[in-house]
Amino acid sequence: MTFEGKYYNGRSSKGMPAQITLRPDGLRIDYSADEEVGAVHWETAGIHQSEFNDATTLLRYGKFPQQSISVVDKGFREALLQYYRGAAFLKSGYNSVLRLGTSGIAVMALSLLGLLVAFVIWGVPALADRVAMHFPQSYERQLGQQLYAKMLQGYQVDDEKTAALNEYLNTLDTGSDYPITAAVVTSDEVNAFAIPGGYVVVYDGIIDKMEHHEELAALLGHELGHVQKRHSLRALTRSLSYYMLASLLFGDISGVAAVLVDNASALRNLEYSRSLELEADQEGLELLRRNELNPQGVVLLMERLQRASESEMLTFFSTHPNTKDRIEALKKQIGESEQPYGEHPELEGHWEQLKAR
Amino acid sequence: MTTTLLEKEKQTTHFSFTGKGSDYFAIEIVNFLLTVVTLGLYYPWAKAKSLQYLYRKTELAGTPFVFHGTGKEMFIGFIKGVGIFIVLYGMLFFGLLTETPFIMVLSYFAFLVAFLVLVPVALHGMMRYRTSRTSWRGIHMGYRGELSDMITTYLVGFFLTIFTLGVYGSWFVVKLRKQMIDNVRFGNVSLRYVGDGADLFLINLKGYFFSIFTLGIYFFWYVKNVLHFYVNNIVVLQEDGTYSRLQCQVSGWDMLKLTVGNIFIIVFTLGLGIPLTTTRTMSLIMNNTVMSGDFDADALVQTEEAYDSAVYESMTDMMDIGVV
Repeated sequence: MTFEGKYYNGRSSKGMPAQITLRPDGLRIDYSADEEVGAVHWETAGIHQSEFNDATTLLRYGKFPQQSISVVDKGFREALLQYYRGAAFLKSGYNSVLRLGTSGIAVMALSLLGLLVAFVIWGVPALADRVAMHFPQSYERQLGQQLYAKMLQGYQVDDEKTAALNEYLNTLDTGSDYPITAAVVTSDEVNAFAIPGGYVVVYDGIIDKMEHHEELAALLGHELGHVQKRHSLRALTRSLSYYMLASLLFGDISGVAAVLVDNASALRNLEYSRSLELEADQEGLELLRRNELNPQGVVLLMERLQRASESEMLTFFSTHPNTKDRIEALKKQIGESEQPYGEHPELEGHWEQLKAR
Repeated sequence: MTTTLLEKEKQTTHFSFTGKGSDYFAIEIVNFLLTVVTLGLYYPWAKAKSLQYLYRKTELAGTPFVFHGTGKEMFIGFIKGVGIFIVLYGMLFFGLLTETPFIMVLSYFAFLVAFLVLVPVALHGMMRYRTSRTSWRGIHMGYRGELSDMITTYLVGFFLTIFTLGVYGSWFVVKLRKQMIDNVRFGNVSLRYVGDGADLFLINLKGYFFSIFTLGIYFFWYVKNVLHFYVNNIVVLQEDGTYSRLQCQVSGWDMLKLTVGNIFIIVFTLGLGIPLTTTRTMSLIMNNTVMSGDFDADALVQTEEAYDSAVYESMTDMMDIGVV
């Protein structure tokens, strides 16, 4: 089989009229232009991959500078596909996709969109959680320590209350994998927060509101629940992975760094998701049970804070939504299993100290 | 004699873009899928494939361009680019964590300087890589610029622009284009950029105020003017001194239709249609660009040597400078 085309020798841009013959071991090209007449043989192994051809088929051969031929004849491509079936230079995954036609491509696009949505909704959080849970504890502790020190700079620490709170914590069986460091800071705000690695900051505004030490135990249990379940870290890896996905799709790496910096400073303001809050509530209840304290402490805490929130702006609640639902969930859990509870003189002693100051 | 001269003046060589939106869309979908599945590792291969398609469908005098870059080359560039970014941001991040004011300021300053130098380095790398991997009728392009010149041009221009509160910006852009385009070889043919900073300044000034006065409508004509300024000032110089010029005939109205259409496509396909906007843009620009003057399509001679490194290609990409 012979086709008409143009031959370029790789040294000049002059297109020489050529006869191209398909042979078992390759192509034979006979060219002639003005005084220049000759023939070359292209072994199939040396022909470069040829994709995206249209009416014109373009083939390139050899090392730099490459020779090439261009044939304006659809029959040429068909003939190549028939004659050199399975040859490397004709293989192309992309070309086979292009042959699917419009409807095939549309189906592919839609299923891809579905896959992507599924990945974003379920895949990313699951992956991020796994990463967060495998983060070494020592690093987490180090990171937490820095954040803790940084955050305390903005507050006035009440040393005596802090000492009493830590006594209280030491007496309590927290069941935590982390050594716990807590501080009481002077503020009218009714708030408390946890920092990764076992750090807890309690505002004395919230202690003033409390009447029973079980409420404090419940609050500490809640915050230590955030620590134990690595909630901040999980939220951080989650938002980080979304940004990474976004920068992957839109090709912007610098966005990742922005998130890192943003999150480090605004960790406190992270909005814990509802499920994380419920999980922390459960941990709070768990702590009361472990110490054989009255489980109603959690409910008391919630109700008191809810009542207070009606008259005051409470930051504790602005980041912790759905108090009613939470109380309902807690009551249900308490009701399910009756467990003995009693007085705890030692804890109460530390509590008195804390309140007395 | 007069007739031949007239004929010569009239000689035009056409650019054209024959790519189809649906084809490019399919290619990009495959690229996207593979990139996601490989957690981004496929990206350089995807980029190579998409460039190979766009080049293959861009024709000059009826012959397509060929992009010779490979995913592997771009992967190496990509890894180096990512590495440099990690080091830079790591330095900045840990510098800020120390909380020592001196070290914080120092690391921030070092970061800015490194970033500033990285831009011309990346531009230079991109020009070298892109030109060396581009061929037409088997003849490769090439870039002969010196890195030191590029850095000097960039830094001087950058600081002059700052000191003049942006006024020098137009001249800076022209200097940079000259540095880039004047050093391009296309076989034995070379390119020249003959635009003047003052002209660009006037275009920008006019564009800015008219766009405000016309509530943004003039903006498309402004973009058209800038495009013409970039393209129409490129001269293709042959060894015997004869030359031809690029001429872009896109109108402001075309620009408006293109932009509005592209926005609609992106919005209504939730971004999936971005490949279609690429082919629409390529079609409009390429199909309305010609080379007029003396250009002997058969007389190009290979002058480049076999090519080498691809280090910088992906770096420019990530910094999103978006040249050419």
